[in-house]
This record gives sequence, C-alpha cells and structure tokens, in this order.
Amino acid sequence: MAVTDSLVLSHGASGSLVGRVAALANCSRIATVGGAILALIAATSLILPHLSPYDAFAPAPTEVFQPPSAAHWFGTDINGMDVFTRVFYGARYSFLVAIPTVLLAMLLGAPAGLYAGYRGGLVDEVLMRLTDTLRIFPGIILALAIVAALGPSLLNIILTLGILDAAIFARLVRAETIALRKGGIVESAIAAGNPAWRVMWVHVFPNVQQGLIAQTSVRAAWAVRVSATLAFFGIGVQPPTPEWGLMIRQGGEYMLSGQWWAGLFPGLALLLMVLGLNFLGDGLQDILDPRRRSREG
Amino acid sequence: MPAVTFTRFLARRLTTALIAVAAVLVATFLLVRLTPDPVAVLAGPEATPAQIQAMRQQLGLDRSVAQQFLIYAERALAGDFGRSWISGRPVLTEIAERAPFTVELLIWGIALGTVVGVAIGLQAAYRRDGWFDQVTRVLSLAGFSIPTYFLGLLMLLVFFYLLQWAPPGMGRLSPLYSAPPFVTGSYVFDGLLAGKLNVAWSAAAQLVLPVCCIAIICAAPTIKQVRALALDALESDYIRYGRAQGMPAGMLRRMVLRNCLAPIVTFVGLELVSLMGTTAIIEYVFSWGGLGHYGLSAIIAGDFNAVQGYVLTLACFCVAIFLAVDLIVLAIEPRSR
Repeated sequence: MAVTDSLVLSHGASGSLVGRVAALANCSRIATVGGAILALIAATSLILPHLSPYDAFAPAPTEVFQPPSAAHWFGTDINGMDVFTRVFYGARYSFLVAIPTVLLAMLLGAPAGLYAGYRGGLVDEVLMRLTDTLRIFPGIILALAIVAALGPSLLNIILTLGILDAAIFARLVRAETIALRKGGIVESAIAAGNPAWRVMWVHVFPNVQQGLIAQTSVRAAWAVRVSATLAFFGIGVQPPTPEWGLMIRQGGEYMLSGQWWAGLFPGLALLLMVLGLNFLGDGLQDILDPRRRSREG
Repeated sequence: MPAVTFTRFLARRLTTALIAVAAVLVATFLLVRLTPDPVAVLAGPEATPAQIQAMRQQLGLDRSVAQQFLIYAERALAGDFGRSWISGRPVLTEIAERAPFTVELLIWGIALGTVVGVAIGLQAAYRRDGWFDQVTRVLSLAGFSIPTYFLGLLMLLVFFYLLQWAPPGMGRLSPLYSAPPFVTGSYVFDGLLAGKLNVAWSAAAQLVLPVCCIAIICAAPTIKQVRALALDALESDYIRYGRAQGMPAGMLRRMVLRNCLAPIVTFVGLELVSLMGTTAIIEYVFSWGGLGHYGLSAIIAGDFNAVQGYVLTLACFCVAIFLAVDLIVLAIEPRSR
C-alpha cells in the first residue's frame, strides 16, 4: 500500500476519495479515458431510455427496418423497435453481468489463492492443476458449453463466468503470496505470534490487493464480451431482451442485405464498452503494478 | 541439458498434459450430466414415456453414473465418441473430415498475426512514447476488445457489401466450383495440385477475410507483449554496453529480437489456445464448415456426443501445442539448457 500512498501524495492529493481518484486520473491518461467512457455509458443507459419516446420492448409491425432518420436515430430493427433506445438500454445487461461476475470471481479466487500460496502442499497442488487445465482450453468455448448445458439464465451465466474467472484471480494472488512469504513481513508477523489466518488476512492480503484491483477491469471486459457472445449464439439472454450480443445476431442476419444499422450500432456500443473497460484496466495496471510502472518511466 | 534432466523435464510435462486431458475427460462427462434431461430434449415433445425409456437404454443412461463414466472414458480414449445425435454419423469421422479446414485457417491467421504483431510491437518499443507507440497501443487495445463475431460481420459489411472486394462469407469455395479431389484438405493446395487454377483462386479469395480477422485478433495482444519484452531487453545492461561500444542499430535490434524470442514463442503458444475459440467463432460467422463451426453448432443444438468429441479433440490439440512450445523454447533458449 505504501507504494500507492506515496504515489497519490506525490500528486498532491488529500486522503479523500475524490482526491485519490483525481490523483489516479493524473497518473494515466488511458485510464481516465476508459473511466470517462464507462461513466458515459452508465449515465446514458440510466437516463436516455426514459427520455426516448419509444419503448425498448414494444414491437411496432408497421415500422420494420426503418433506416436511421430524425425519428429513429439508429433506425429500427426487424420487430420495428427503436434501435437507439434498445442500444442504450442494453448497457444495463452488461453491467448486470460484469459486476457480479468479477465480485464472485474475487470472492472465490482470492481466498483460494491466498491459502494455496501461504500453505502450499496438497491444496496448492490441486489448485494449480485445476487452473492449469483451464489454461489449456479456450475459455470462450468452455463458457459456451457449460452455459448451454446448464440452461441459459442470468444466474447460470454469472456463476459460470465467475467460477472460470476465479482461477485467474487465484493464480495471481497465489503468485504474490508466495513472493511475500519469502519477504520480511510474513516472517516478522509469525515471530510476533500471529495465528496463520491473521497473517494471511492482515499482513499478506492488503499487499496483494493492488494486483487484484489492477485485474478487475480487464476481467470485467472479458465478462461483458463473453456474455454478449453467449447471447449471440442464442445461449444467453433470450429475445426480445435488448442485449447487445442478441441484437448483433438479429441484426447481423440482415446486415449484408442492406439493413446494416440494426446490427452495427449495438456492435459499436459493445466495442465501446469493452474498450472502456480495457483502457481503464490497462491504465490501472500501469499505476498499480510497480514493475510495470518502473518500465513506463 | 544433460539427457537425464531432459527426460525428467519431458516426463513432468507429459504428466501435466495427461492430468489436463483426464480433467477434460471428466469435465466433458459431467457436462452432459449437468443438463436436466438430454433424452427428453432429444426425443422431442411428442415422445411417449415408453419411447423415452427405450432411448435411455439405448444411450446407456439407465446405468449408474460410475459405470457410465467408465464406459464413456474407455470409448473416448479409443476415439469413439458415438454418433452425432443430429446427423447420425460417427463423431470422429465428422471431426476428422473437418479438422483440415480449421488447421488451414488457423495456420494462415496465426502466421500473419504473429509476424505483424511482432513487427509492430518491436517498432513501438523502439519508438517508445512516440506517436507510433501511442497509436498502436490504442489499436492493440481495440483489437483486444472487439468481439470476434462483430469483427467478422464488420469485415463482411465493409469488404463484401460496401466495397465489393471480397466474396460473400459463405464457406470455403464459391458455389460456382466443385471441390477439388482431396489431398491435403486445403482447397487452395488441392486446387493447384489438380491443376485447376480458378478453383485455387476462388478458395484463396474465400480465405482472405477470415484469415485477416484471426490475424487481427492474434496480433493485438502480441503487440502489447512484444513491446513490453523488447523494452525490458532495451534497458538491459548488455544492450547499454553494446550501445556504448557503438554497435550499429541493426545489430542491436537483432540482439533484442534474439533475446525476446523464447518468451514470444511461449506467449504465442498460449495465444494459440484462446485463438482456437476465436477461430471457431470466425468459422461460424463465415460458414466455414470446419471443426470450430461443427463444435459450436453442436453446442448450440445440444448434440452432446459431438460436443464431447469436439471438446476432447480441442483439449488434445491444445496440450500438443503446449508440449511443442516447451520443446521449441528448449531448442532456442540457451539459458534453459
């Protein structure tokens, strides 16, 4: 933590949250851009669907595949629904999947990695072999196969993605824990008579938090991308939900016969959201990963 | 590396690989057990209870779970995944037919993506923080962020619909031609071998867009990784010494590349695994008819014999890649000997 503190202080910020955010924004332009994109998407998805004269769920059979115009800025889709309203509404589903997925992954992965890294032995061996197996297989195919077998519901999607992602957090925390175990902190904590759980949570965990936080945004980007992919293949959220992957699928079928708008706009929105998360993640890694920072100069 | 150490290294890697394949074997078995009731889906809504019971027996679903697993494992290890529930043909035959199509796509995509990615990554490192570096950083993140199927659709929209440079993404050959006789499985080479230039040309034209999609998605993370590796090398003492000695720039760059080579190979190997997923999606979008298209269609349709066959084939392929990467790194990295 000392590293961030000195970093934040060196930019002249107070201990307040706003001050810290401002100081972080100062450190990385790319993170600021990413954060701004995400804030914009979150705000518009909450406000714009209410301002729009159209309903994101109401079909209008007389308005099918209207090209973009003053009345329908992004045109209408095969059901005559307003693509603009649906695109902005759709961001809610992405947040709805991404946030619980990453929380679940951290909740499962961090303690597992901490324990395995600190104790070693059989638990460590089993954990590593399990995560090795996940590494040798394309995650997207695994996610598709599991959700298809479990049945497409929001809960199943979050559970599947969260558990798959937990492996990544576990490996990360384990590696840092092992590195810390060799350092003085752990040794002196043990010498001072702390029980093992206390060494892990009070002395080791705060020191691996930074690495953990640096990963959250990138993992959220993965969750958004994969959940949209699930919907694209018809094994995620079901129609007529205004989910981006689903909209790209429905629109994509007509994209090459002239009605390009119904698939293009949700695709661009999805790209923008994942890009925002990856920008933020890239910047966070620059700021929080000391090894990388030294290289960035 | 002495022979004994090498044998031990190889043995350890093979054990890890075997454990991984075993885990996938269990996972694919459990996958089917996860479904509420595959038979009900398979038999359709109009099946009578007697028909469902008969189907259960036929598929062996009336035995205990342990028995089912043993039977499954024994068959799967012999390459027998049963018949596709949809086409009724043996899954292994269908996979073997389609694999060459995927390999063709993958090889071109990876080769192009890696070469472009390494070249751009090195340039970005040499011109660190310059405009080239900044632009490629954003582009690399964009390539890393774009959903695969959307990239495919976008390429088709631009290069087929708008510019009309590329043929429609409808498989591996224009419907005007018939497939050349099977030799390698690649229509381009088979067309050339059969002396049908127009067939080879049409097959090559069909390849361009999907290969570019895979290359873009392969290059994006490679750029970032190579840039970081090259920056590490550039800041090392031996390069600084070389510079101080007035070593020419070209020679310095060769040294940087030489020192990054082993980690790059390792990275591309890891990338290859996730690119198998990418390729499957690209195949689906371009109706390629390869292994990935087959696997995804099976997953979507709930054709579990085919899903098991596909997932296991993929796992074996990925394990083989990892072993190959280890051996290549061993060969090109003097420090590991």
